[in-house]
Amino acid sequence: MADSAAEARIDQSLVARALLGIDRRAFEQLLRRHQGIVRAQLRRLLHGDEAAADDLAQEAFLLAWRKLDQFRGEAKFSTWLYRIAYSCFLQASRKRSWPAGDADEGEAEQLPAAPHSVDLQVDFERAMRQLSTAEQTVLLHCVQLSLSHEEAAFVLAMPLGTVKTHATRGKAKLKAWLAAWNETATEEQTS
Amino acid sequence: MSHPHDDAIEALLRKQFDGPVRDEGFSERVMQRLPPRRQRMAWPLWAGVVAGTAACWLSLMFSPLLHAGWRDWVSGELSAPAMTLLLALAAMSLLASWWSVAEADDR
Repeated sequence: MADSAAEARIDQSLVARALLGIDRRAFEQLLRRHQGIVRAQLRRLLHGDEAAADDLAQEAFLLAWRKLDQFRGEAKFSTWLYRIAYSCFLQASRKRSWPAGDADEGEAEQLPAAPHSVDLQVDFERAMRQLSTAEQTVLLHCVQLSLSHEEAAFVLAMPLGTVKTHATRGKAKLKAWLAAWNETATEEQTS
Repeated sequence: MSHPHDDAIEALLRKQFDGPVRDEGFSERVMQRLPPRRQRMAWPLWAGVVAGTAACWLSLMFSPLLHAGWRDWVSGELSAPAMTLLLALAAMSLLASWWSVAEADDR
């Protein structure tokens, strides 16, 4: 928590320096501090399309540079960047069609338990793809990027209640689809 | 408090996430494409300040209150016009201080 507050203060001071207009290096530091996680966010949103994710990340950082004076410090700088990156993603997906991730839920009533635990990862990946786009997006931000529900609501421009609902539903679906794995794990523990 | 099954699902989700991507020249490419920052134009602010000051001066120049207040203040007499002048100056100073603090906070 203290680390996160310290990180936020460093970001704030770098933004202030970058805004003075004389210190491009301050923005470069911000870029280097956050590029990794913004690119990771976009890669997940684009289902692993690395080239497209990097193009969008570049667009997002150029937009952040232009709009830097609009950053008021109400949210963390990283959260503000996620929001810009997510709106770039939304705008781009309106122009071209990326795999949406929506799938027929009937197909995945329960995924069969494979004999080896390495396959759990494969099944989990498949189960993730069966979730609705909104559920995948909310779980990405709330769990994988470790944002609070409030921060995720800000990034995704969604009402807080909707974020919480998608998170709960998404986890419940994953739990149901991966129930076979739970049973296998329990059997292995008892035998 | 979260349910243990939720914790297991969250652990799997975190495990599935690759984490931050290595830079590998990305930052350098972005920095090369960064346009120069546009400086905020200062002239509208200064034009407003000059116009406001001129309007104030013109409206008060012919007022007997200002002359009486100034005369009493200089002679050390705390009359009603002198107090009004002092209060107006104090209010304007407070307003200017508040504005400076608010601008500093925004930066």
